[in-house]
Amino acid sequence: MSSLLSAFTLFMSLLVEAFPFLLIGVLLSSALRFLVDERTFVRWLPQNPLAGALAGSTFGFLFPACECGNVPVARRLLIQGAPTSVAIGFLLAAPTVNPIVIWATWTAFRDQPEIVVLRVVFSLTISVAMALLFSSQKDLRALLQPSIANALPQTVTGSQQHPLLQGGTYVLGGTQLQTFERMAYQTAIAAEMAIPDELNERFHLFLENTFQELRDLGTVLILGSAIAATIQVFIPREIILSLGQGPVTSIVAMMVLAAVVSICSTVDSFFALSFAGTFTSGALLAFLVYGPMIDLKAIGMMLSVFKARTIFLMFLLITQFTFLGTLFVNFHLS
Amino acid sequence: MTREHPSLEERRRLRQRRREYRRDRRRRWQWFGITLLDSFTIVAWGALLLHYWLGGDLGLLIHPAYRWLTIGAGIVLIVTGLGVLWSRLRSQTKMPEALQMTWWRQLSLGILLSVAITGYVAPLRAFTSDLAFQRSSGDFMTLARAQPQTFRVTQNPGDRAIIDWVRTLNVYPEPDAYLGDPVNVSGFAIHSPDLPVDQMMIAQFVITCCAADVYPVGLPVLLPGDRAEYPQDQWFEVSGEMVVEETSDERRLVIAATDVQPIPEPEDPYAY
Repeated sequence: MSSLLSAFTLFMSLLVEAFPFLLIGVLLSSALRFLVDERTFVRWLPQNPLAGALAGSTFGFLFPACECGNVPVARRLLIQGAPTSVAIGFLLAAPTVNPIVIWATWTAFRDQPEIVVLRVVFSLTISVAMALLFSSQKDLRALLQPSIANALPQTVTGSQQHPLLQGGTYVLGGTQLQTFERMAYQTAIAAEMAIPDELNERFHLFLENTFQELRDLGTVLILGSAIAATIQVFIPREIILSLGQGPVTSIVAMMVLAAVVSICSTVDSFFALSFAGTFTSGALLAFLVYGPMIDLKAIGMMLSVFKARTIFLMFLLITQFTFLGTLFVNFHLS
Repeated sequence: MTREHPSLEERRRLRQRRREYRRDRRRRWQWFGITLLDSFTIVAWGALLLHYWLGGDLGLLIHPAYRWLTIGAGIVLIVTGLGVLWSRLRSQTKMPEALQMTWWRQLSLGILLSVAITGYVAPLRAFTSDLAFQRSSGDFMTLARAQPQTFRVTQNPGDRAIIDWVRTLNVYPEPDAYLGDPVNVSGFAIHSPDLPVDQMMIAQFVITCCAADVYPVGLPVLLPGDRAEYPQDQWFEVSGEMVVEETSDERRLVIAATDVQPIPEPEDPYAY
């Protein structure tokens, strides 16, 4: 009974501390969704892969979205013709490299500022590296789900052929069908992106969006906090310590936890904080860097944009980068 | 024969219309119910945060520096919940088909609401020795975090709280430097198995952000009698002086207690 009460107090404290940050994140992302038009934005994006990767990775400062909000934004960016490097950089970095998440991480790890700094540095490095790697793929369509690939504007697909030189018949040709499909998809996306002119209607959508994100992310936060509190109170200390003190096992355990728990990046630092006494710094960092990029919930959403093969490749590379980077921290920085 | 056809047809149409009317009415009620439930869930969470604040329990949950964040969030949540209700009622005609009771909606609303209600009903409790054993690195004298938030060297020894003693000892650990210093500390009792039966730990939890990161610090107390008279987890005010105890492998500082008074658990049990 006593440990049940302790677990409940721990659980509630996580929620009470994290809810304000979740609320700020949700309010901001809902406001931006209806106030900012990304189309004006895509026009002056750099085409150079490195510049694009850097720009995309720091867009989180303009669109502070956690890993649930960033997939739709990245999808819209791609369809509007943003370079691959920008879209991938944004997709991977925005959930971590944004003011709200940095503030929340700072709140949780005031006493270990190196965790805050390294979280940003690692996330930025991995995102830029991934963005550069994927932008070396000239034909972007190979990476994307067919519906998205078809919706891409011609200029970025890499098919530089003149339409008259393309093979096939002009009567029932695949090109034409593709064009129709593309138009249909672009219309659908445009409808999704449509921002109503009327202020009342805009406010209504803002509230609905806020409510929906609060409900969905709040539920995941509750489940995550329950898992953290249960592990903290009910799992014997010897087991946690034997797992959490090994430089390699601690990182692996935290990465698996990050992928499974799927807690939103705005509040994941509080979850990690409850392991601060027992797990190595590298493991905490692995959780904070890996979770926002790869988790069950995000993979589900990413499948709506990328082919499974692409996601698997991303997963493999990000896992390696995170593991090696945080292992270095465990052996040389702490 | 020819007259019955229209009347049958008419009756069928009438029945159809009545069915549609009932269905619409049912849908409207369902829509209204979902709207109320949605709005109530958000308001309940806002109210829970304010309830913890007004009931004085917020001090058990988070560091006081983040109080205002929670209070602000409570107010904004209530406003948002009422805003959703107001906005749905205003645009009633436009939205009903968007509100389906899907399994995810049921599950998420169910989880949010039941946790909020449990929050009102279930008591919160300051952490006790169980968690202290779970969290401590063994001797209660090491600081889990490197950088102290406040550190006053010139403090009068009699005014030091447990955390001040532990911080001071971490900076300058030589026991003889504190020999004979007066001690006045309060905390809860921990019967550590490593200590002899006439000694206990007087301990407090240190909080940096929220209850999830608390860790215990404590000092050993040499008691006037057996520690069984001083129940574990009870809060005590301990007065005495510092003495140095020598065991086979170490020399360490112990509070030789002259007075050990039970006190009620303070409203704000943490050290910062």
